[in-house]
Amino acid sequence: MISEQLTKVFREVFRDDSITLNDQTTADQVEGWDSMSHINLIIAIEIAFGIEFTNEEIRSFNNVGEMQQCINEKI
Amino acid sequence: MGLYIYNQKNFVHIDQQRIRPKNLTMNLVENLAYACLGTQIKKGLGDVFAFRWISANLSHEEFSYIQIESFSNRIAGILKNLGVNKGDRISIFLPRSPELIYSFFAILKNEAVACVLFSTFGDSALFDRLNDNESTIVITKKSLSKKITKIKGDLKNLRSILVIDIDEHLDGFTFSLPKLLSDSSVDFKYEPLIEPDSPAFIQYTSGSTGKPKGAVHVHGAISSIENSFLEVFQIKKDEIYWCTADPAWITGLVYGIMAPMATQTQQIQFVGNFNAEHWLKCLQDEKVNVWYTAPTALRMLMQEEDVLFSRHDFSTLKRIYSVGEPLNPEVYRWAKRIFNCEVFDNFFQSETGSIMISNRPGIPVKPGSMGEPLKSIEAEILDDEMNPVEQGLQGNLCFKKGWPSMFSTYLNKPELYADKFSGNYYKTGDLAVKDNDGYFWYVSRADDVINTAGHLVGPFEVESSLLEIEEINDVAVIGAPDTILHEKIVAYLCLKNSVEWSRELELKCRIKISNDISTTAIPQEYKIVKTIPKNRSGKILRRVLRAWYEGKDPGDLSTMEEQ
Repeated sequence: MISEQLTKVFREVFRDDSITLNDQTTADQVEGWDSMSHINLIIAIEIAFGIEFTNEEIRSFNNVGEMQQCINEKI
Repeated sequence: MGLYIYNQKNFVHIDQQRIRPKNLTMNLVENLAYACLGTQIKKGLGDVFAFRWISANLSHEEFSYIQIESFSNRIAGILKNLGVNKGDRISIFLPRSPELIYSFFAILKNEAVACVLFSTFGDSALFDRLNDNESTIVITKKSLSKKITKIKGDLKNLRSILVIDIDEHLDGFTFSLPKLLSDSSVDFKYEPLIEPDSPAFIQYTSGSTGKPKGAVHVHGAISSIENSFLEVFQIKKDEIYWCTADPAWITGLVYGIMAPMATQTQQIQFVGNFNAEHWLKCLQDEKVNVWYTAPTALRMLMQEEDVLFSRHDFSTLKRIYSVGEPLNPEVYRWAKRIFNCEVFDNFFQSETGSIMISNRPGIPVKPGSMGEPLKSIEAEILDDEMNPVEQGLQGNLCFKKGWPSMFSTYLNKPELYADKFSGNYYKTGDLAVKDNDGYFWYVSRADDVINTAGHLVGPFEVESSLLEIEEINDVAVIGAPDTILHEKIVAYLCLKNSVEWSRELELKCRIKISNDISTTAIPQEYKIVKTIPKNRSGKILRRVLRAWYEGKDPGDLSTMEEQ
């Protein structure tokens, strides 16, 4: 469920309906995911899931799996 | 054996092997592709590695001059078969990749004009550039080709796109580059010598108003590119060099591809996004000796804990160079302490085509200064009437025109090109100070262009995009000081009646800019105001917004339109 909603957020932020995610997906594998668009993604996730990340969390995600785990702990 | 050249204050050792024999036939210069590839192969260096490719997962692959020559020959032949002629414009819309480099040289071998575009460009930014340069062919990858497909109907000159990662041609417009390569020849004949004023590549840059401008550079730039690299970087044989700039940026194209290849400098290319651990690992594992990066990157690294740096060994690193924005003394001192080597900041622009002012070995560094002009460059600080200003006072940074890599025009905008010159001088649009020792100190832009993380962003582009959001009635953007980015973009928004500012609307703005222009153009701060200050002819009074932002007196408001 979370992964479906997260995929939807990614597709909206990067305007790319072909994005598919797995736990190992990193920024280098998603076109346009750089340090600036990472902030877009974080805001979009916070809005979509009604959560807030700390600055440390925002900087710590190495892949989508870690991001998803953090979301899981907050909802 | 080498020779010594006099470099302002000291003699610099230059390896003779690395200086190309100069020319050759009267009034002709080497085609940039030949200068970077052909001469090396002719000297018997074809098997030497030109760059070591480091992928995002830190795996390696080495590419020799002969490999790059072969692949670029194949692509050159493909382009010729597709009807490319001398002077045609071909765009490369790819992230940093070997294919980008092969394609760049393939275009030059056809005497066509290359335009490397940031792969982060959004729809509007991409359209503006492809429309302006009238590209007939775009070389791209599958995930990016969708952006071109969306706008191709409005690009009247675009005949086809070559996609580097599809196996089959899709139609008469979208071709598979691998499939074309499978049936291509490694031989491609082209003239090694060319008229120096023949256009070679276009570099887009932003202005205060209007659309981005394409600065056209010529094959004759090669002498500036080579000589500036030798004078500033002073790289010895067997030293490893790393330029972190994207090839769509003038720094990445000139000093990340052409200069090191033309001077047989062994370099690494790292393909991943900024990642502190990966970058430090690259410096350590690749035993980088000379590192060319940007102040923003150093400021981002500065945010990391010291323990991260102490876990790595930078003992091979001898010199760091930076360009893009001023290098703050604080960051300079931090980098010097952490990496235990000298840090040399320097200055150039898309229009100048090569470094104009630099700190470099042999000249004591004054932290925060850009350094001194290169030996072939005459730099002056002039007032608005083009008279010299007293040393120590602020004025317009100007260069005596005529250096070989000076841009030859703005594509389709000769009047804007003419505006950049006054008498014998090129006006950079930057304000600077020259001190009593001849060092230059950057002050700011003289216009409204915003320098964020080394990228020049025109306010007009950002405002035009934000105005398309239905909740926004009016908008103005300014640059404001930022500890990481040098300047951040701040947007002042007038919302339509009954619209409330929200995180959802901020996200809408951010995503719109990312996808229309580029992530580098995203405003980092949003201010909601009732009206945008404008003069009576409707021009945005950005000085008023800057004063508001900084909490200062906005000064004379007599020209402001009454609201």
